[in-house]
Amino acid sequence: MATVNGIVPARFLTLIAHLIITINLYWTRRDNVEACLPETYTQDQYNQKDTELLVGLSLALAFAAVELAGFFTGISMFLPTVGMLSTAAHASAAVSLSYFVFEQWECDLYWWVFGFCSAFPLVVEIGAMIAILGFKKT
Amino acid sequence: MAAGQLPPQLRQKLTSFAEFAFPAARAAREGREHHQLKSIGNELVSNLPLQMALYFNVFYFPFWLVTAIILLQLKFSSLDEFYKFITVTVYVVMVVVEIVRLYLGYLGNLQEKIPELAGFWLLTIVLQFPLSFFILFNEATMILPLERAIHIVMAIFVLFEVVCGYFAIKVMSSHQVTKFHLRQFDDLQYLDDGQTRWSTEA
Repeated sequence: MATVNGIVPARFLTLIAHLIITINLYWTRRDNVEACLPETYTQDQYNQKDTELLVGLSLALAFAAVELAGFFTGISMFLPTVGMLSTAAHASAAVSLSYFVFEQWECDLYWWVFGFCSAFPLVVEIGAMIAILGFKKT
Repeated sequence: MAAGQLPPQLRQKLTSFAEFAFPAARAAREGREHHQLKSIGNELVSNLPLQMALYFNVFYFPFWLVTAIILLQLKFSSLDEFYKFITVTVYVVMVVVEIVRLYLGYLGNLQEKIPELAGFWLLTIVLQFPLSFFILFNEATMILPLERAIHIVMAIFVLFEVVCGYFAIKVMSSHQVTKFHLRQFDDLQYLDDGQTRWSTEA
């Protein structure tokens, strides 16, 4: 088992950074929703886009929770490959979502960030969980 | 050892608090408790979840601090006069308490010292717990969304450390009591030679 170098706290910090900016987006999503609607929009259009973004944010929170659970129970804490992929994905998520908030990107662009930076680490994490718990490969 | 020691009066006070809150030590000392003396060997009683929480809390703290100060600076001019004073005081107290608390937690948990751990637990439940919930829920301080996020993470850390710290002290104090009981047998075992020697265990 590799010793704790820098990757464990780095992974934790990038995960938390991603989590924090996702929680932040939950309250500041209005500007982003308005950015992807035409100049004059109806309340229904707004509600639809708003719900979509809300679903995306909630899913990202749930995926981050699963990944944190796998991380804290020690299943994937000391796997360097998983750690590196997760750190890279969540760091780019934190940067992209910061741009998302400051530059008021359209709400549809959120799904790109979600796909690469929330879904991908979750798949890797679940793969690691299956490998360790299922096949008992230490 | 001198560098990692609390002053003796503080140690005494914290030990009596530990005996008050976790009566296993006091009851056994007064002879009322029938302890099952299970073999303890060289078991470590440092609490792993608590140590993990402390480790990650140490890494999280500087980022929390920088973010909180920047956000306070941004909204400072639009705060009520009273709340300007309150928020600055709360942040200063939280920073000082956090540093002392994390240091005591590390020392108490890793070196299995109960007074330090009791000090850590006291600081967490009496100071950090109310303060972090205050800055999280008091709307009069004009909580920004980013502040909500960082204070939620901080509150989760504090809550988790309160719960884990309680179990850590409980396990550690009952372990100390067992070791004390077993030690009496060790001290007696040298009497058979006809000469009394003190046991040399640490």
